[in-house]
Amino acid sequence: MLNKYNAVRNMTMVALLLASAAAFGQTTATGVINATLINKNGISLVFDTDPGGVALGANGTSAASANYGNISAFGALSAGVTRPSVTAANYTVRTIFDVQVIEGGLVSPSYTLTANLAAVAPTGFAYKVDAVTLTTVAQTISTTGTYNADVAHNLDLVVSTAAPGGGGPAIGTPLTATINFTATAN
Amino acid sequence: MRMNDSSTQKVRVQWLRCTCVCCILFSASWCQGQIGTAKVTVSANVQSSIGLVFLNNAAVGTNGFCPLTNAGTNNVGLDLGQASFTTGDSLACVQFFQFFGFYVVDSAFDVVVTKANSTSANYQLAASLATAPPTNVFWTINTFTVLSTTFTTIQNNNNYGQRVTETLGVVVNQTVPAQTLFETINFLATAN
Repeated sequence: MLNKYNAVRNMTMVALLLASAAAFGQTTATGVINATLINKNGISLVFDTDPGGVALGANGTSAASANYGNISAFGALSAGVTRPSVTAANYTVRTIFDVQVIEGGLVSPSYTLTANLAAVAPTGFAYKVDAVTLTTVAQTISTTGTYNADVAHNLDLVVSTAAPGGGGPAIGTPLTATINFTATAN
Repeated sequence: MRMNDSSTQKVRVQWLRCTCVCCILFSASWCQGQIGTAKVTVSANVQSSIGLVFLNNAAVGTNGFCPLTNAGTNNVGLDLGQASFTTGDSLACVQFFQFFGFYVVDSAFDVVVTKANSTSANYQLAASLATAPPTNVFWTINTFTVLSTTFTTIQNNNNYGQRVTETLGVVVNQTVPAQTLFETINFLATAN
């Protein structure tokens, strides 16, 4: 009887030891990551070459250039440049460029586009975007711009026919102007 | 004092509405503040130039002044009608006369040359035939200048922006077989 009791006791102890060992073998650790992303909204503006206009320098960027080449009232013009009007007082040469305003994280339906000359226009020159004459103060070009799409705009140079020194532009030298564009979410 | 369930529900709805309005206003003001800027540099090189157009003379329609087609451009047409040595010309606007076995038809029109971005004081005008005419056919300008396929100077010191009347004529010998006489006359204005 005693032997039977000892046998039971021993088996019980072995079982407890085994169970304890198994329990130590399942050691685990847990953790959580509390991740945060601030999704900001914003818009950006780039210039794209229009199929009907001159090839822009730095195409697809926000600091592009448009070179009209040689312009005149009656002479040949570069590809992508047209001359919609010639009057006794002035003539207009035109190219077309695209503006693409890209938005992210906005609920804005459209944008307002304004433009201004960075400095006073050279003598004998006036600049127009879509018939809006530019000055050094921002002028509204459009109030219903479509996001994420190329929107074509006319860029006109209105050139006086006057001779150099008589109110007309200097000839034979490149004349440049910088036009700043601003797109504001509506 | 305790509100009943209905009052509590109304307060909750009003609070929810207020919160929504605030969110919308905040969202709208946040969007309106968003701007993007860019710049484009424009360059051009102005060249002096002059342009030439043909115009109907003020006396158009009368004898010696036929109408141009496409007047006001630098590429016009001038119909001198049908003529023969013996019967004259079919158009009243064409001036016709004969001399020593030849007949002459002519018509006058105006040329205007305009300058832009130029200090040139005046211009020289020349003309030439695109192709040589048949034997015994002579195209003339202002009666006495016979044109050829090389440029012949017509005037040396024409003023810009002013009409200059030119008379285009064709002299045909009576021995020339019946045919259509078609000629392209090129005009060249050169700034002095």
